[in-house]
Amino acid sequence: MLAQQYASIKRDLDDKGIVFSFSGYLSEGILYSLGEALREKLALEAADGPTIRRVFSVFVEQMQNIIRYSAEKLSGTAGRAVELSAGMVTIGMERGKVFIVCGNTVRNSEVPRLKERLDHLKSLDRDGIKTYYREQLREEPDDSSRGATLGLIEIARRASDPIDYDFNAMDADRSFFCLKVSV
Amino acid sequence: MKVRAENHAMDCLTIPATGRTPGVSFDFANGHLRMTGESYPDDVAAFFGPVFEALRGFLDDPDGGPIRFDMELLYFNSSSAKALMNIFQMLETVAKGGRPVTLTWCVEENDESMRELGEDFAEDLRHVVFQMREMPAGGPP
Repeated sequence: MLAQQYASIKRDLDDKGIVFSFSGYLSEGILYSLGEALREKLALEAADGPTIRRVFSVFVEQMQNIIRYSAEKLSGTAGRAVELSAGMVTIGMERGKVFIVCGNTVRNSEVPRLKERLDHLKSLDRDGIKTYYREQLREEPDDSSRGATLGLIEIARRASDPIDYDFNAMDADRSFFCLKVSV
Repeated sequence: MKVRAENHAMDCLTIPATGRTPGVSFDFANGHLRMTGESYPDDVAAFFGPVFEALRGFLDDPDGGPIRFDMELLYFNSSSAKALMNIFQMLETVAKGGRPVTLTWCVEENDESMRELGEDFAEDLRHVVFQMREMPAGGPP
């Protein structure tokens, strides 16, 4: 029963082409380790340096978005300050491209602004994204974003297909946010 | 993550590279500044704070000579991009004041993303001399 249950979860992931998956509390340490494994995996598939860095760049920005903006966080001290952010990250292969899907809880009050940013990015072509990046590079980050805009633009810029996002309402206060990026 | 910064009477600032923080070798005595490796620190402010501080001290010296800055990073994240922009704006300010500054943006061959980023950063450098230099591939991916 035990193996059957977990084999079925594993099969679901395999069927979706997912090579790496992590669900739970994320930290900068996990970002680093998972990032190393991702680069090694891509290097074994003979991807060149610039391609590996393009995938890696999307991965880092996605992970840091969860670490900074997940609405489900644990913090405290365990000898030193500890901050953990809940979320999930999956990386897979689909039609010869790498895709990264990240998911985390967000407050409903933040949904309209996030949607607006993502829709704006989706509406831009390559040159538009480039211009937007140049503008934001010179902007002071606005109060609550801590630089989120530049991170999202970086993601859209490295993506080979338009970014795909979705929200799933959880309750009156929170929604589950998903962002899928193919590189 | 802890990095050790050695700062001998402002002659130089040397920070060895780690897996996610860049190598910094600022040879202030000869006006040769260099950054290598990769930059996606877990705490950008903590890493770049001492770098800004040392650089500010160096740039404030009114008798300073020419400056050569070699940007050899293979990868940097979006928060590091902001920090780099800060550094280049500091260089642009002293260049505007008449101090010769050359910024060399090193790009591994075929790395179009990094080349494009170089163009993004160069866009509003009016007094800093910007040049792009191609390096052979083969550094760590």
